[in-house]
Amino acid sequence: MDRTLANFIRALRNSEVRISTAETLDAFNAVELVGYRDRAFLKRSLSLVLPKTVDEKETFDACFDQFFSFEEVRASEQADSTSGQADESGADGQGEGQGGTGGDRGEATPAGSEERQRKGKRKSRNALYEEEEEPDLGPGEMSAPTSALGTLLMQDSKVELSMAMSTAGEAVDVREIQVFTQKGLYTRRIMDQMGLVELNREIAGAREDPAVPVRRLGQELRRRRDWLRGQVRDYVERQFLLHADASGKRLREELLRKVKLSNVEHRSFRLIQEIVYKMAKRLATMHSRRKKVFKKGQLNVPRTLRHNMAYDGAIFDLRWKSVKIDRPKVFAICDVSGSVANYARFMLMFLYSLEEVMPKVRSFAFSSDLAEVTDLFDRNAIEDAIAKTLRDYGGGSTDYGQAFEDFKRSCLDDVDNRTTIIILGDARNNYGDPRAEILKEMYDRAKRVIWLNPESRNAWTVGDAEMRRYSAYCHQVEECNSLMHLERVVGNLLKTVQ
Amino acid sequence: MSAIEDMTASVDAIRGHLEDHRYICSSQIATAVYLAYQLRKPVLIEGPPGVGKTELAKTTADMFELPLIRLQCYEGLDEAKAIYEWKYGKQLLYTQVLKETLDEVLQGARGFAESVTRLHEFGDIFFSEEFMEPRPLLKALQEEDGCVLLIDEVDKSDHEFESLLLEILSDFQVSIPEIGTVKATREPPMVFLTSNNTREISDALKRRCLHLYIPFPDVELEQRIIHARVPEIPPELRRQLVAFIQELRDLDLKKVPAISETIDWARTLVLLHAENLDPDLVRETLNVVLKFQEDIENVQGEVAALTSKVVKH
Repeated sequence: MDRTLANFIRALRNSEVRISTAETLDAFNAVELVGYRDRAFLKRSLSLVLPKTVDEKETFDACFDQFFSFEEVRASEQADSTSGQADESGADGQGEGQGGTGGDRGEATPAGSEERQRKGKRKSRNALYEEEEEPDLGPGEMSAPTSALGTLLMQDSKVELSMAMSTAGEAVDVREIQVFTQKGLYTRRIMDQMGLVELNREIAGAREDPAVPVRRLGQELRRRRDWLRGQVRDYVERQFLLHADASGKRLREELLRKVKLSNVEHRSFRLIQEIVYKMAKRLATMHSRRKKVFKKGQLNVPRTLRHNMAYDGAIFDLRWKSVKIDRPKVFAICDVSGSVANYARFMLMFLYSLEEVMPKVRSFAFSSDLAEVTDLFDRNAIEDAIAKTLRDYGGGSTDYGQAFEDFKRSCLDDVDNRTTIIILGDARNNYGDPRAEILKEMYDRAKRVIWLNPESRNAWTVGDAEMRRYSAYCHQVEECNSLMHLERVVGNLLKTVQ
Repeated sequence: MSAIEDMTASVDAIRGHLEDHRYICSSQIATAVYLAYQLRKPVLIEGPPGVGKTELAKTTADMFELPLIRLQCYEGLDEAKAIYEWKYGKQLLYTQVLKETLDEVLQGARGFAESVTRLHEFGDIFFSEEFMEPRPLLKALQEEDGCVLLIDEVDKSDHEFESLLLEILSDFQVSIPEIGTVKATREPPMVFLTSNNTREISDALKRRCLHLYIPFPDVELEQRIIHARVPEIPPELRRQLVAFIQELRDLDLKKVPAISETIDWARTLVLLHAENLDPDLVRETLNVVLKFQEDIENVQGEVAALTSKVVKH
């Protein structure tokens, strides 16, 4: 049973609910206390132990229902079959004994085998009937099966069967299933693992057999085999839903992180946004606000007293109460002309997703004339603001000289030694005046100037690119054209500005 | 103790006892209390304001007849206010007394080494429990028969304080550098933490707690809550009132009314001897339910429609 829980936790992790080892242990303790019998109770209990946010709780609910609905079916079938077995047990025991001796068994268990026959029919109702070439022999005596799987099938024990199914599933690594189309393959593999070949041979053999009981057994076995196939298919499908769905998404995320942002298709934007948000959140927790204790402000009397105990109570080493939350100022200057617009989009998205850690982001957009767009972001949702920025300021031909001049005029005075300036652009100036001296001024005043260039390094000096001239006045120049780059740069930024 | 064990025998028992103390809850909440007691784990309660997070801790304390020790969190809360503090004044006095008796202690000592030995032999109580002022967390550990510890609005405290909590939450002990580790007495406290989600609580803290999310109650549960809290309200009015509140929660409001507001409103209507909701009555008493002028203005226009919808049912 503990294995069930372990599997469930694995499925949860796959659905992006983060569960630590400590929580797993808690879950085991909870299950020990609560037991598996009352599903609703179990669900309520586990939902207290495993998911730790509201979102995760939703995922948990869905996952639990999916995972344990199967278990529940199995349990009910178990109950069903045990009640069935109760009146069959005698017959079963006898049947097996006689199978061993190979003697005739006709009279001993007519009722028992009839009942089983009926059961077999009922079960196979949903499975596809194969074309029956021979007439149904109807109820009557049957010989004992010889193959392992056949014996298992005829035993009518769902517990044994589902255990065999799980074991076979483990053996063929059904958890590794990745894509939908592999379902047939895994169904086959599990059936093979359970001994299908042997069973098929027996069925084929039985059809040729002259003895009626043996032929009857063959038909029954075939029916049960088809039923089993349906069961295995369901099992594989559930495994797929539990294990593959998320890893497929993870794979895509992994790819999207590395892909060039200008190549991202429009339909992936949503996913990218999710990733950006996730990355930003991680960075935010990593660099959660740090505080500096300042040597001024209110006197912290208890602490001062405590520290001056050693000096005989003479107070001369003072302690202060006030702590100041140090928040960096970031100026982002984004080129939003055609070629770079996509990068600007994600850059801005990233910076504003980091609001918690960097509340003082001021952003500027330009293609030729530069304008501040901070207000736009304050008033609108991030996506809207980005769209508006791109609409209003994008599209012109790039003029870095003009942009720098505008920047100097409007807010160079606000740049101080706590300011980090991030410039995003390809530095392609259409052979205009680069005005690098303004960048030098910015460089002198600011704490850091970081230039992110979406082009690859060897294109930086080709054609109308002015990167060589500009890079002299930057503390750091980076190639930045994928989410991974962006994450690294912003991570470093957070490290240095704090 | 056996009384408590009786109460916590099953989830239904807990639920029943909570109801006896006029706290009507879903089985999810009762399960949380059950597991918290059985597994000896703290519970982190999240949810919108006014759904009874703090109330749950208080009621649990009432139910078990244990003292409730409450620590209200705020920005800047530190160990000196949460765990322990030295009694500086007394410590200073003690040094003065010590100075005066120094001559007696050192009398006849020859040489510096011997003086120091004598000094060491002299019992040092400078840093001892005598001079220690326990704060809520330490007090909770020292309660002989256990207690309910409520750490309220933990999201208002700083990150550093969260780290401070980790030791007490996982092992029911605190370390005091000058003295050593103080462990909980026989019966560790039942710990409830509440959070309004103004910021994300760290994973480390969440890992050590059961996580209970209390949402707004559904119609049926809210009716029962009102019945328990304001028993004198007529049933028909109660139904209308709860239905109206549930409708309000679907609107786009700055602050949606919580259970506490529903209760206040029910009390108001009882005072006014109302039998039924009607638009004028609602308009006049809307300020009990809605706390922002903006919201009130937004809802004013819809009062008639909402009321008729609710009354017709």
